[in-house]
Amino acid sequence: MIRTENVTKYFNRNKPDELVAVRDVSFEINKGDFAVFKGPSGSGKTTLLSLIGCMSRPTSGRVIVGDRDVSRLPERFMTEVRRNTFGFIFQQFNLIRGVTVCDNVMLPLFPTDIKPSELRKRTENTLDNLNMLRRKDFLVQKLSGGEQQRTAIARALINNPDIILADEPTAHLDTHLSEEFLSMMKKLQEQEKTIIIATHDPLVYEKEYVNLVIEMRDGMVRQITRKG
Amino acid sequence: MSINRHFNILDYTLQSLLRRKFKNIGIIIVFTFVIFITGSVLLLSYSFKKEAMLMLKNSPELIIQKTMAGRHELIPVGISSEIMKIPGVSKVEPRYWGYYYDSLIKANYTILASGESLSANNRLLKGRLPGINENNTAAIGRGVSEARFLNTDSSISMQTAGGRPMDFWITGIFEADSELLTSDLIVISRADFMKLFGIPEQMATDLAVTVSNETETVVIAKKILSQFPDTRPILRSEIIRTYDAVFGWRSGLILTLFSGALIAFIILAWDKATGLSAEEKQEIGILKAIGWETSDVLEMKFWEGLVISLTSFLIGIILAYIHIFFFGASIFAPALKGWSVIYPNFKLAPYIDFYQISILMSLTIVPYIASTIIPSWKASITEPDIVMRG
Ligand SMILES: Nc1ncnc2c1ncn2[C@@H]1O[C@H](COP(=O)(O)OP(=O)(O)OP(=O)(O)O)[C@@H](O)[C@H]1O
Ligand SMILES: [Mg+2]
Repeated sequence: MIRTENVTKYFNRNKPDELVAVRDVSFEINKGDFAVFKGPSGSGKTTLLSLIGCMSRPTSGRVIVGDRDVSRLPERFMTEVRRNTFGFIFQQFNLIRGVTVCDNVMLPLFPTDIKPSELRKRTENTLDNLNMLRRKDFLVQKLSGGEQQRTAIARALINNPDIILADEPTAHLDTHLSEEFLSMMKKLQEQEKTIIIATHDPLVYEKEYVNLVIEMRDGMVRQITRKG
Repeated sequence: MSINRHFNILDYTLQSLLRRKFKNIGIIIVFTFVIFITGSVLLLSYSFKKEAMLMLKNSPELIIQKTMAGRHELIPVGISSEIMKIPGVSKVEPRYWGYYYDSLIKANYTILASGESLSANNRLLKGRLPGINENNTAAIGRGVSEARFLNTDSSISMQTAGGRPMDFWITGIFEADSELLTSDLIVISRADFMKLFGIPEQMATDLAVTVSNETETVVIAKKILSQFPDTRPILRSEIIRTYDAVFGWRSGLILTLFSGALIAFIILAWDKATGLSAEEKQEIGILKAIGWETSDVLEMKFWEGLVISLTSFLIGIILAYIHIFFFGASIFAPALKGWSVIYPNFKLAPYIDFYQISILMSLTIVPYIASTIIPSWKASITEPDIVMRG
C-alpha cells in the first residue's frame, strides 16, 4: 500500500543551516495496518508523515502510494492524491477559527463538484457518527479539546480516505480522551482503513492492535517491529 | 460541468469575508470613499461639459461684439446691413442680454430679451415665455425663483438704469432640463430690456451672425474684423475648444489615472502595514494540506477581491450619483459658490459617460484584485507541510 525506498529529506539544502530530517528510510505499510512512528522529539516523525501524505517531496528516494510513485508528481496530481487518499489529523488540529464545525468539516470537499445539498448531508452523517451533530453550528474555538479533535477527525473522514495520518493525536488529551480517540481509530481500521500515527506516547504504541511500530532516531529507522 | 465547485468556493469566501468583518468593512469604507470622490468629480465635470455643449449647440456660429479699449461695449444695430453684404453671411440678428445685480440676494441675474433663438428652447419651460412685445412680463430660472421665493402669477421688481422701479409679472419658470444654463436667467421683452438697462434705440449687446457654409466662418470673421476694426468676432468652435480643454476627456482621464494610482497606493500601504497575517497564511496552508489546489486558493482570493471591490465601487458610484444629481454636489458647493449664489441649489441633468466610468472601474477593481491575489499566491505555492508544525 505504502512503500518508501531510501527516502532522504533535507531542509535548507546548501545553506548554512542545512539539516537532514530524514535519512535513507525504507519501509512498507500494508493495507489495513495500524502503524506507529515512534521516536523522540526531532527524530523525523512529522517529516515522514508529510512525505507519505504528499505534503512535501523527498530530496532523494521514492515514496510509493498504491502503485504510484508520488515523489515526483506535479503539484496538481499530488493535491489530487492527497485529497482522494489521505485524511489528516494534525497535532494542533488545524481547524479554522471563526468557522462553524460543519463548515470546517466540509472544507476538503468545497473545491470538488459535489452538490451543496449532498455535501451537507454527507457532513451531517459524518458528524453524527462521531456524536458531534449537536455541535454542528458551533464555532470551533468554542469547543472543548476533545470536541475539537472529533471535528478534526470528521474533517479527515469526509472524503472517505483509505489512509488516515495522525500526528501526536494524544498530546493534548487526557487519558480518557486518548483512549476514546484510539478506539475510534480501531473502529476505522476494522473498516479496512490504514492508520498511521506519529507519537511518543506509550499509551498509543503499546496498544495490542498496533501491528507495526517503526522506531525513529535522528532521522533514521532504528527498528521495525511487525506483529501478527 | 464544474459549476458546483465554483459555487462552493464562493460560498466559503463569503463566510471568510464575514469572519474578518472589521478589516473588510474598513477596506470597503476607504475604497467607497475614494470612488465616491472620484466618481463625483467625473459625473460633475461630464455633466457640466454636456450642459455647456447643449448651450453652445443653440448659440450662433459667430458673434460680433464691439470693444472699446478692450472692453465690451454696445454695438450699433446699423452695421448689420454692412455685414449682410459680406458674401456667405445669411443672417445678422441683434442680441440683447446683460447682467443685473440684485442687492437683495447679492447675486447676478442674466437678463435676456426674448427673441427667435430662445423660442427654439420652448420645451424648457413651465408656464410660458413672455411674448416679444408683451411688456412687464418675465420668465425666470429656477435659481431665481427659489432665491426670491417667486412662482408664476407673482411679480418681481427691478430697478431701471434711471433708478425707477419696474415690475414684471412672472409668466413661466424654466424647468430642470438644463439648469446650469437657465438657473439665473430672466427673460423679458425687448422694449422692457431697453428700458431696464437704459439702452438707446439702435443699439444691441452683440450681433449673432449666421453663416451659410460653416467652413467659411473663419474667413468671414477675418473680413468683418478688417472692415470693423473695433469689433471682436467670437467663433463658436473656439468656445467649444475652450470648454473641451476645461472639461474634456483628458481631464477626466488624468483624474481617473490619478485616482487609480491613489487607490493602488492606499491598498499597497494597507497591505504593507498588514501583510498576510500569520492566521491567513496558516489558513492557506490548512486548505492546501486538506486538498485544495493552488488554483482553488487563488479563486477564493479572486472572489474575495471581486466582492470587496465591486461592492465598494457600486456603493461609491451610487452615492456619487445621488450627491451630484439629487443634492446638487453639495460637498463641492463651497468651491462652486464663486460662480453665483444662485447655483448652489441647482440640480444638474444626469449625464453619464459610461466610458469614463468603465475606465474608473477597471483602474480600481483590477489593481485591487491583483493586490489580494498576489500575496496569497506566494503563500499558496509553498509546500503545505508547514502547517504540520503549527
Ligand atoms: N520546514 C523545516 N525547516 C527546517 N527544519 C525543519 C523543518 N521541518 C522540520 N525541521 C527539522 O527537522 C527535524 C525533524 O523534525 P520533525 O518535526 O520531523 O520531528 P518529530 O519527530 O516530528 O519531532 P516532534 O516529536 O517534536 O514533533 C527537526 O530537527 C526539525 O527542526
Ligand atoms: Mg512532530
